[in-house]
Amino acid sequence: MIKITDLEKYYKTEELQTIALNKLSFDVKKGEFVAIMGPSGCGKSTLLNILGMLDDSDGGSFIFNGEEVIHYNERKRANIRKHNIGFVFQSFNLIDQLTVFENVELPLIYTGVKKAERKKKVHEVLEKMQIMHRRKHFPQQLSGGQQQRVAVARAVVNNPKLILADEPTGNLDSSNGNEVMDLLTELNKQGTTIIMVTHSEHDAKFSHRIIRMLDGQKVIENSLI
Amino acid sequence: MIKNYFKIALRNLRKNKLYASINIFGLAIGLASCMLIGLYIVKELSYDKFNDKANRIVRVTMEYKMSNEINYAATTGTKVGPEFARTFPKIEEYTRTFISTSNVEYGNKLFNEDRILFADPSFFNIFSFNLLQGNAETILDAPNKIVLTESMAKKYFGDENPINKTITVIGKEMIVSGVSQDCPKNSQIKFDFVTQFLNLGNKVKREQWWSANWITYFLLNTGDDITQFEQQINTYMQTDAIRSQAGLEGESYLNYHMQPLLDVHLKSDLAGFEPNGNMTYIYIFIIISLLILLIASANYTNLATAQSTSRSGEIGMRKVMGASKRQVFIQFISESTTITFIAAVLALLLCVLVLPYFNSITGKAFTKLELLQPISMLLLFLFSVIVSFLAGLYPALVLSGTNVMSVLKKGFRSPGGNGILKKSLIVGQFSISVFLIIYTMVILQQMDFIQNKNLGYNKDHVVVLPISRTMLENFETFKYGLEQISGVQSVTASYETPKFVKWGDGVNVVDENGEHTIDINAMPVDLNFVNTLGMKMVAGRDFIQSDFALMDTTNNSVNYKQPYLINETLAKQIGWSPEEAIGRTIENRASGPVLGVVKDFNFSSLHEPVGPLLMFLGRNFSRNYMVRISDLDVQGTLGNLETLWNERTNGRPFNYHFLDEDYDALYQTEKRSAILFSVAAGLAIILACLGLFGLAAFSIVQRTKEIGIRKVLGANLSNIILLISKNFLVLVTIAIIIASPFAFFATKKWLQNFAYRIEPEWSVFFIPVIVTLLVTFLTVGYHSIRAAMANPIKSLRTE
Repeated sequence: MIKITDLEKYYKTEELQTIALNKLSFDVKKGEFVAIMGPSGCGKSTLLNILGMLDDSDGGSFIFNGEEVIHYNERKRANIRKHNIGFVFQSFNLIDQLTVFENVELPLIYTGVKKAERKKKVHEVLEKMQIMHRRKHFPQQLSGGQQQRVAVARAVVNNPKLILADEPTGNLDSSNGNEVMDLLTELNKQGTTIIMVTHSEHDAKFSHRIIRMLDGQKVIENSLI
Repeated sequence: MIKNYFKIALRNLRKNKLYASINIFGLAIGLASCMLIGLYIVKELSYDKFNDKANRIVRVTMEYKMSNEINYAATTGTKVGPEFARTFPKIEEYTRTFISTSNVEYGNKLFNEDRILFADPSFFNIFSFNLLQGNAETILDAPNKIVLTESMAKKYFGDENPINKTITVIGKEMIVSGVSQDCPKNSQIKFDFVTQFLNLGNKVKREQWWSANWITYFLLNTGDDITQFEQQINTYMQTDAIRSQAGLEGESYLNYHMQPLLDVHLKSDLAGFEPNGNMTYIYIFIIISLLILLIASANYTNLATAQSTSRSGEIGMRKVMGASKRQVFIQFISESTTITFIAAVLALLLCVLVLPYFNSITGKAFTKLELLQPISMLLLFLFSVIVSFLAGLYPALVLSGTNVMSVLKKGFRSPGGNGILKKSLIVGQFSISVFLIIYTMVILQQMDFIQNKNLGYNKDHVVVLPISRTMLENFETFKYGLEQISGVQSVTASYETPKFVKWGDGVNVVDENGEHTIDINAMPVDLNFVNTLGMKMVAGRDFIQSDFALMDTTNNSVNYKQPYLINETLAKQIGWSPEEAIGRTIENRASGPVLGVVKDFNFSSLHEPVGPLLMFLGRNFSRNYMVRISDLDVQGTLGNLETLWNERTNGRPFNYHFLDEDYDALYQTEKRSAILFSVAAGLAIILACLGLFGLAAFSIVQRTKEIGIRKVLGANLSNIILLISKNFLVLVTIAIIIASPFAFFATKKWLQNFAYRIEPEWSVFFIPVIVTLLVTFLTVGYHSIRAAMANPIKSLRTE
């Protein structure tokens, strides 16, 4: 599903150039659950942003679903993104001004789904995440675990082929964290490809394969299955 | 401590350059408009105050009831002055006055002057016009004496001393007896020449109550007890002797009021020598300038409140360190004070810069010195202090009231629910702007209508040339000469031009009600009048050469007949259809036949409906040739006219003007207010948009994360722009809904001043709405696009 080859990314300030990704290459197959680990600043988040087509790379190749997307412009990438990729963030990134229902509904609005259809889909996914009873609440009225469940609901409501999760349990206690990991595992079992950045060895064990990074390079890859 | 506050304030300005410039620029514009309009108002209120005896001078106005109708006039009969001065010891002196036009000749110079004042000799004793040469007591003590203003002395005599020189005015030779300073701009009486009132001829030599064409002023021994004095006059006017003198019977009455000189310009409905200033306009100007200042202050309040979110940390820390609520309050007021005073300095510079434009809008001549006088400085200072508090109060209160713990725990939340204050201020600002835009559009449309209205005659390409007394002797040969010039289409002459006929008169008519008089305007004209001015005949014909034969002066004029043309309105008032009127006899100067009925044309300002008008063949009254020229080669034709003029007039300067220029001068006041409103509307919308620009920037800062999330979830450019603009557009729409009905009624009221007016079209509302929405969208759109283009990663990383 994903094949990156010699991917490069630099950050330039006035005085120096920092290498975030240094000729990184790996593949992810359809239906895989991959964890990416490494110390702070090793390039994990940068990688995730490029995979999510939120950021540009400075070199290399990125084939998504058989399509070379590295030179696509913003609009084309946005189009691929909204139909194929869901995001889960460490800090949930829910919109404070919108209710749970409205937050989850948002990706459907941007992909042009009709109102009745949206309602149906949002309700389905909220049932599945067991937060239906909270649909009229605002994010700050929920616990951290509930907020992340809303974020996951939002990520999957469009039935994306790929979910990118950036430390999804980072802001949660262990029981809430496990709940979220169970959710992701369940989604993966249903066929969704998942790439997850994490610091937690415990969480990484839920994946099929761990890619360990250091200074923008892949240093080791161990398969757990 | 205070020093520390101002230091922090200045640093904050430097840190937030965009908001600082919006605030300073906006407040400077607001303060500058207040200052200039304040200056204007001070000037208007100073009208006639230069007269040392202003408190004791009154203008006499007349109130009379005839045939069940009560009338008021600023003019009185010739008897009022002398009779009252003889009867009431309270009156020290009187002067009767009249302003007229005349050709003035000296040597080779001939000009048509329109500010020749006829006044009784005490004129210079009552009013304090500065005499540069001559003695106030003797300056007008003989009928052949005349006083000139300084600029007239220059115009006619150059560097020569004019005293005792002879000039020809109203066809008489007069000796210059004095030179006065030019009339102050804030004087209701403005003249270029002053000569004796009795020079107006036989019509003023007899004292009479009626034929009230003259403005009479009294100098009283004290300015007190004017009401009591009016009662005395009232009683006097009701005595049988006076009533029979004035021919009053039954319910008819004649009475007079004393109007203090200082009230005339702004508080009187009765126009005297010049159109009165209007207290209403003064109020409107005050309101407009305050509104502009209010918009600018609202910008400050909104932007400062919006900024509060980013400054809550600072305040929290200050409080942790021991700052009291009062100290934080003072700190924020210092900030608004700093901004306002920087704006005040800028405002002063702005005033100096735009002063020439302001002068041309208002028709006044303010100097930079007047701008810098203590009173204006004090005004500016006061306004600055008020604005500092007005604009800074709310943000200072909110920020100083912040609870430390809640800030440190949760971060600061903007107070006031959903920002009700912010929203109301935006709605208020835009309501004002929309109102002003609509109002301006209506004024402009009406002005356009006036400019292009079919007046019933063609005012374009008509050259007006003054006729001197000597030229009258050769009237026909000169006219013939003019007609021969190539490019000249037709020539006529008249006493006044048709743009504003002031000659008031009456015609006697006999009908079923018996003989009675109809008040009319009258106009002596020459042959070809109708044709040259492009008027239309409804019935009958224009004057022709053979009509002169009717005016038979032989045999003691026993067979003299005066030929007449009348307008449709006069025919209708008499009760004739146009066809019936032809050949009927009417009597004005002498009886004579009506030869034609002219289609109504506007011969006074469009504020008035067309009244009855009588035109009689009267070549000897002619003061102007009116020459219709072809629109091809206007310059060439003018050159040929000048050549002829020089040949026939011994090289007198060729002074001509175009009829349409005269016409435009009639609407100076409206033109000025149109410009003023345009400027005000422009400033209002610019300031309101500046505020919006700043707020949009803030709103985007506050919503950075949200925008980032939405982009990650698939929002495109237009989604984001709509998201940000929507809220502002809703507010502006509410403003439009509020402002439109007010504007509708206000413009309707203004238009009622005109007898001929437009019906405001839908476009008058439609265009401002579109423009305002568009401008709002563009203002907010700028930030929205920037936000939408930004990389979402960055906004999400701010966590």
